[in-house]
Amino acid sequence: MELHPIISSKGMNSPSTQFVTPSRLAIYEPIHQLGTWGENFKSNGNPNTSTPMIVEVDTKLDTQSEDTSQGTFPLSNKYEQEASKPVDKIQRRLAQNREAARKSRLRKKAYVQQLESSRLKLVQLEQELERARQQGLYIGSGVEGSQMGFSGPVNSGIAAFEMEYGHWVEEQNKQTCELRCALQAHISDIELHILVEGGMSHYFELFRMKSIAAKADVFYVMSGMWKTAAERFFFWIGGFRPSELLKVLVPHLDTLTDSQYMEVSNLRQSCQQAEDALSQGMEKLQSTLAETVAAGQLVEGGYIPRIPTAMEKLEALVVFVNQVRIRIIAQSSMALVWILRKYS
Amino acid sequence: MQEAIPYRTYLHAAAAGSSTSPARGGGIRAEPDNNENSSVEKMVLENAVVVFGRRGCCMSHVVKTLLLGHGVNPAVFEVEEADEANVVGDLLRIKGLKGEINDGSIQFPAVFVGGKLFGGLDQVMATHISGELVPILKDAGALWL
Repeated sequence: MELHPIISSKGMNSPSTQFVTPSRLAIYEPIHQLGTWGENFKSNGNPNTSTPMIVEVDTKLDTQSEDTSQGTFPLSNKYEQEASKPVDKIQRRLAQNREAARKSRLRKKAYVQQLESSRLKLVQLEQELERARQQGLYIGSGVEGSQMGFSGPVNSGIAAFEMEYGHWVEEQNKQTCELRCALQAHISDIELHILVEGGMSHYFELFRMKSIAAKADVFYVMSGMWKTAAERFFFWIGGFRPSELLKVLVPHLDTLTDSQYMEVSNLRQSCQQAEDALSQGMEKLQSTLAETVAAGQLVEGGYIPRIPTAMEKLEALVVFVNQVRIRIIAQSSMALVWILRKYS
Repeated sequence: MQEAIPYRTYLHAAAAGSSTSPARGGGIRAEPDNNENSSVEKMVLENAVVVFGRRGCCMSHVVKTLLLGHGVNPAVFEVEEADEANVVGDLLRIKGLKGEINDGSIQFPAVFVGGKLFGGLDQVMATHISGELVPILKDAGALWL
């Protein structure tokens, strides 16, 4: 019910005067109700709530003052004569209804305010995104075919990595083409060596990039989100398994001497052992990290806090494994050269 | 640019420089006690292979697993955080560094082979991949085969 016009026409006084008026009415029941409402009003320090309260009080008084002005008290007599209980109940119910209505109005207001602030935030984020796009940063969505276009806050280190990775792939394709052509053209050993060395240093560059990215966001590197789903299937600690690389090479090694073949096989076995040890170390680190999180170190907002030591260890492990990859590629370069020679 | 290191059969070289007699590699798990100086030195002198690492460290675990995979049972010294400085000092002394200021040469995990500082995880991994680790361990008497 809209009671504000009544307020304006009546020229609202301060709340306190309303509760002094019982003397005007000389009716018991309304006074009792006023008392109840008065308690509600006092306990509620909120000025916003007082207005509807007062309005309702005013309405009640108005109804009754009108009756008074007519010189008769038909309603009041009714109050005095009939049992007070059912009227009590009705009045209480009405009061509760009014309370509920008021509360739901407040809730609605709060909800609308929340929506407004969220909307503002969204606009700000969109602006930021637009600005970043214009500056040429690649915002990786991470997941192929992802339904979300925007998967969380932008990490500048990761954004830089994704851009660099795109360039790296282009360069890699170029080098592969060059190598193929060169092999068909029957290049000399020296030239082949140069090409192979170039290819290897290009790979070392990739591992360097990944190690830097690991310090920006180690979980991103561990998940291999810049790779295709198929590549991710074979992922091991931020990249390929060195032993897998050698397994792929071995079938092509039939033209090697026995001792050369032995060397490569031994290397592959060493890789396998190293990988097993590193995998176990990784498992241990995972359980340590899980324990730390489970120890209940949540801060407000529900974010898992940065657990410095464990995460630093993980970063160190990823960086170390990349160095191992470099070492293994360097060591298998001789096998690579032999294989390439075979196909030239 | 890394040079390709060929994996070649390691020729047994005459033992030189190692004055300590190779002892059986025992799986001793030691904790630092009151008389830390002697316990650290003792471990290094009495064991062919000793691993000094922080308790619960994953890198120490990697080193240990690698050595175990070769059939070595290394002595392990688990360093408590509080004692780290002391242990580093002891190890530096063993290494022969005066003044006990860590020039970065002692990083955990630290591996001692045949009474001398061998290095950290990267040394162990590098020699493992190049195939030189096994002969070194044999020389130190940590491996029998």
